[in-house]
Amino acid sequence: MNTFVNRFSTNNALSVIRKAQAVVDDDEEFSDAAWGSEAGFGSLAKGVPSFSIPAVHDPTAFLRLHTDDHADPNCRIKIQHGTTTLAFRFQGGVIVAVDSRATAGSYIASGTVKKVIEINPYLLGTMAGGAADCQYWETYLGIQCRLHELRNKERISVAAASKYLSNLVYSYKGMGLSMGTMICGWDKTGPAVFYVDSDGTRLKGDLFSVGSGSTFAYGVLDQGYRWDLTDEEAQELGRRSIYAAGHRDAFSGNTCNLYHVKEDGWRFLGNYDITKMHYDGPGDVPGSAQVAYGYDVRVEGRTSSNPPAAAATA
Amino acid sequence: MNPMNTASHPQQRQFNPYTENGGTILAIAGLDFSVIAGDTRQSEGYNIQTRYAPKVFRLTDRAVLAVNGFAADGNMFVKKVKQRLEWYRHAHAKDMPLHAIARLIQTMLYARRFFPYYVYNILGGIEDDGSGAVYSFDPVGSYERETCRAAGAAQSLVQPFLDNQIYFKNQQPALGTSHPAHLPLPQVLRLVIDSFTGATERHIEVGDGLEMFVVLAKGHDLAGLEGIAGLQEMSTKSDGERIFVIRRELKKD
Amino acid sequence: MEYNGGSVIAMVGKGCVAIGSDLRLGNQALTVATNFEKVFPVTDRIYIGMSGLATDVATLREQFRFRVNMYTIKEEREIEPESFAHLVSSTLYERRFGPYFIEPVMAGLWKTQAGEYKPYIAAADLIGCLNFAKDFVVAGTASEKLFGVAEGLWEPDLEPEDLFETISQTLLNGVDRDAYSGWGAVIHVILPDKVITRTLKGRMD
Repeated sequence: MNTFVNRFSTNNALSVIRKAQAVVDDDEEFSDAAWGSEAGFGSLAKGVPSFSIPAVHDPTAFLRLHTDDHADPNCRIKIQHGTTTLAFRFQGGVIVAVDSRATAGSYIASGTVKKVIEINPYLLGTMAGGAADCQYWETYLGIQCRLHELRNKERISVAAASKYLSNLVYSYKGMGLSMGTMICGWDKTGPAVFYVDSDGTRLKGDLFSVGSGSTFAYGVLDQGYRWDLTDEEAQELGRRSIYAAGHRDAFSGNTCNLYHVKEDGWRFLGNYDITKMHYDGPGDVPGSAQVAYGYDVRVEGRTSSNPPAAAATA
Repeated sequence: MNPMNTASHPQQRQFNPYTENGGTILAIAGLDFSVIAGDTRQSEGYNIQTRYAPKVFRLTDRAVLAVNGFAADGNMFVKKVKQRLEWYRHAHAKDMPLHAIARLIQTMLYARRFFPYYVYNILGGIEDDGSGAVYSFDPVGSYERETCRAAGAAQSLVQPFLDNQIYFKNQQPALGTSHPAHLPLPQVLRLVIDSFTGATERHIEVGDGLEMFVVLAKGHDLAGLEGIAGLQEMSTKSDGERIFVIRRELKKD
Repeated sequence: MEYNGGSVIAMVGKGCVAIGSDLRLGNQALTVATNFEKVFPVTDRIYIGMSGLATDVATLREQFRFRVNMYTIKEEREIEPESFAHLVSSTLYERRFGPYFIEPVMAGLWKTQAGEYKPYIAAADLIGCLNFAKDFVVAGTASEKLFGVAEGLWEPDLEPEDLFETISQTLLNGVDRDAYSGWGAVIHVILPDKVITRTLKGRMD
């Protein structure tokens, strides 16, 4: 981590690890890598990740030149974009719902992406923006949360975990990281949702949606949201919101993954096909009226473009 | 502008260490086997640099890595992965499990987040529990376990065909039957060959030769591999997982 | 082409041809309508599909209707597929330096001297360069994906029902990997004596 404070402070965890490493390194002629004991840990072997930087005047401009497909769709290295993710807090905990589509330009690169990252049994992170950035740093966050538990003999709060991530990505600000994530969990204060992004924004709130389909999800979510939603109603609202985004947004869709965080940790509720929800509804699940989400069933035989059978023959 | 005067104007140059070398790779996981394939053409623009440049590499007796994109980065990356696997072998006296290789590749790719390897990786092989597995990666290390994945120049031609033939997308099973969850090896090999002949027909960067690596789980019989033309065994021992390579010609125009 | 999205495809069968399109009309990422057909009848045995800018699809549809009617009146006979393909080509080339943003795909049956009907398909780029293929033609945002699936599924001399299945599977699976196409599909199988039209349920995301 590159922050000024971290580099020069003498009493934070990082400097402690660094000092410990310096001691170990002095004894050894060869790095751990030579003996293979860091195999599998990659750049995490030293506790702090280190990155190769191109030897140019402006590494950030270099990276942008080759990876930023917003500015230049012809650039070579495509980073996945386009998503709908949402999370909200209510009386019964936190609902987290996401879609599963990854696009590179107009090509749907994958329809089975896991956009909820299971940081530990009490913490979930969502994925929007750079897939690798979210996967890597939220895994890293998981490591740090476990270290916190071991050091302090108690679980890290959602506020602290999200702040750790926020400070981390802020130290890379301007380097080209791209993530918009919601850190969701349950701690001493009850259910909590924090929005953290790569600009350094960190917001505490009841209800967030992130990604290209977020406007569609907000439409349904705002309409149906109440604090005293029952568990079943809340789960249905999450599903229905992701469906709306999947249907209208070209860059969201395929399936919806639904999670519910309660006092005893998160629980994965299911994977719902968005087209199946359109035609048949989500099936026999709690909160579902078992009616198709698509409007076809609501207009069948009743609109001018699709008249009742009697009118059609007349 | 005065042509004599150009030297006095500031000139901008860009550092561009990347190029695209075409080609396509593909991997399919079965119940207890994996097939990892790639064509062997290496091109730059409209020029063919070589008709035989392997893109699929044996890592261990149960792991095969396919790399596609910028060939120089790809070859260097494979070299570094192999080096890390050898260190692991020396430290632990065993081969690294497949899921661990996948995570290793993620961290190695992400270590270059600000100077990426321009490489799309697909890792195929046998998991510790004996199941066939495929892991696919983006250039900076996001990864996922899948059953079937195509990457490279012709990914958009091959992947929808595989969706239809492997996952049976948009197909309804006959009444009272269901689609098989896993396909037998001979059928998978046929689909791989069809995918590459189709891609060769419609994409200029695909062709020349086809290399298909087959990884069989421990104790698996040869399941129709015996007698296949161009079969060569790559495994170091015959009592563990076994790796075979099958080479085929593709059109060279 | 990405502004409104959409894709079309045509395939040759044994004594029949098939042509189809998806049903999406979008405004870039936003899906606006899911009932926008892009394939239109020209005669009883010729259909044209157009992918690209929706406003030009509507304009050209009327333009072609007008020109085909004028041809029928002047010649006192129905237009043949090959003549129609050239009509389309020259109409597009008229706007060589300010083109209509569409890629047309045509499918039809032409009558031989002996009185039997033979399949005919063609496609063109946005300024009218014709491509007479013997197997299948595609256009639109999902064209690459459609080429890939069609290359794997299509075979010569398909009977009408088999052709329908082949073009349907090709179209549905092709557009399912394209963000800008899909949301249902429509297929027309053109036979000498009739046209079979079917609307397909496709993925709605």
